[in-house]
Amino acid sequence: MSDKQWSEVNLLRPKKGYMGGEVLITSVILIGWGGATFGFQLLQKFLATTPQGENIFTRYTFFNLPLNVWFTGQFLPLWFVILCMIYNLYIDRLTERHSRTRYPYEHE
Amino acid sequence: MNMSDLQIKFVPLVIAVVVLTSFLLVGLLHKVRESSDYGLGGRSIGRLGSGAAIASNWMSAASFLGMAGFFYLYGYLGLACVIGWTGGYVLLLILLAGQIRRFGKYTAPDFVGERYDSPAARLISALISVTISVIYCAAQFKGIGILFGWLFGLPYTTAVTFGSIAVISYVVFAGSQGVMKNQQLQYTILIISFIVPLMFLAKKLGYFWLLPQFGYGAALPQLSPEFRSSFTLPFAGSSLFQWSALCFTLMVGTAGLPHVLSRFYIVPNIRDARWSLVWGLYFIALIYWSAPAYAVFARLLEAKSGVVPDLATARGMADMIVITAATKGGLPLWLVGVLAAGGLSAAFATVSGLLMTGAASCSHDIYAGLLHPAASEYRKMRVAKGCTLLLALAVYLIAVNPPGLIVEITAVAFALAGNTIFPAFLLGIWWGRANRQGIITGMLLGVLITFAAPLFGTFIPTLATIFPVTSSALCGAPLVILVTIVVSLLTPPPPERIRRFLATEVHGHLD
Repeated sequence: MSDKQWSEVNLLRPKKGYMGGEVLITSVILIGWGGATFGFQLLQKFLATTPQGENIFTRYTFFNLPLNVWFTGQFLPLWFVILCMIYNLYIDRLTERHSRTRYPYEHE
Repeated sequence: MNMSDLQIKFVPLVIAVVVLTSFLLVGLLHKVRESSDYGLGGRSIGRLGSGAAIASNWMSAASFLGMAGFFYLYGYLGLACVIGWTGGYVLLLILLAGQIRRFGKYTAPDFVGERYDSPAARLISALISVTISVIYCAAQFKGIGILFGWLFGLPYTTAVTFGSIAVISYVVFAGSQGVMKNQQLQYTILIISFIVPLMFLAKKLGYFWLLPQFGYGAALPQLSPEFRSSFTLPFAGSSLFQWSALCFTLMVGTAGLPHVLSRFYIVPNIRDARWSLVWGLYFIALIYWSAPAYAVFARLLEAKSGVVPDLATARGMADMIVITAATKGGLPLWLVGVLAAGGLSAAFATVSGLLMTGAASCSHDIYAGLLHPAASEYRKMRVAKGCTLLLALAVYLIAVNPPGLIVEITAVAFALAGNTIFPAFLLGIWWGRANRQGIITGMLLGVLITFAAPLFGTFIPTLATIFPVTSSALCGAPLVILVTIVVSLLTPPPPERIRRFLATEVHGHLD
């Protein structure tokens, strides 16, 4: 390892190759994570018609719950599981691809 | 409190004793049979089994009792706990898990000491980890005190004293006998003891009981208008800032919590570890989908009986609400006993894990790492045992006069982790230029921020608004990260050896 070329690690300037792929999928998942969690609450604030936050989502029910409660309390934990699955599938593929370029005959 | 609350409840007591003893017995048998293979063992139990272990390691009195209580009191704000404590695992997986594993140091002090090449930073992070353990344990002790109070019919102060003695004896016995935790068994008991009473309750009250997680919503229209809006309207009980701050704090805290991080790395292979986290998250979600149902049923029973407590009374009862809902809902006493046994085993397991890691950190990182580098293994073991008792005493002193609800106490521990350990891991992994001057400043600032509201809130009210004691990390963690970056850039870079290691091994292992 000692003679390998290296450059400073920086999340905002990932190097090409494995780290680039990692940063790409991490960014995509982060957007899905933050958008659904905080974005949805912001949207409720934006659409609120009363100070208490009545909005279009509070008026409809789904699985017996107001849509906003269902989305936040029940869908989001499931969404997190889905996000983690997407991340894992992508990283599995990324790792396989890069293992092949490094040790071309190992996976034959 | 009525008369029946002050009586000893034999059947539930027997159930609780049987459950806790069975964990010890199974642990002892397990130890005899496979002494070489440590608890969260590898491929033999598979990803699903490891996931159950992650979930049972995570479940504490905060999940079992505290969350429903918080939801009962604050309605929609309680969902911030559900989201915070599940969404944190996403951050852990995508930002830290694989990289820390390639770095090869799993406890916060080990990582910080090695990455920032600084004994001082290592000491600070060890002290912070121990503090997190103590605060987190205090919330567990409160839960144990409440359950003991119900089981033995004792007032809280006496009950928490008995409970503390019981849990410390449990920890010392398990530790001295080398009891292996069977976390799959534990998760199975936890999920059954949480969901089955809820199904009974839903059936008794006439709602869809097969999946009470979906059934309880039908009870919402029966609630008094006040609680209906508190449960369903997003800004009825809290502002957008309060909700987001609590949620974000619990998320970054989860990703920075020392015992979560280190537990996850015992799985031998990284791919299995990543996939078992998905299972773990799913198993955690199963409990979190159900917790709000207890709160809604409790409010429904209150509305039906016509006795609605005022806010102060409700606050006093909130952490007990899971048990109260079950008894008031007319569940047979043995079934309430099952529920209580589940809560107790969650709290006991969490306490034993946290006290043992806390004591190990005192002995390994602080005593041997700093005061007596030449200490023998025997000496370190003695110190660790002494520290277990000292930490337990500190925990007891907080818990005997609890400063808040279980969730609130727990949230302070998460805020501390999110303001200190999380930035140290995040920058340590993703920015080679972060150095020891930066992280020491950052972590100390993080400690100040976490306790800013109680310390300076009375003189400078703005601080208490920006950094609420339970949710300081929304503004705190980004500020700590910024300060760490600025200080790092103003001081010399860390040794080339470490930056090269980060670039070639942690982020370049396949290039």
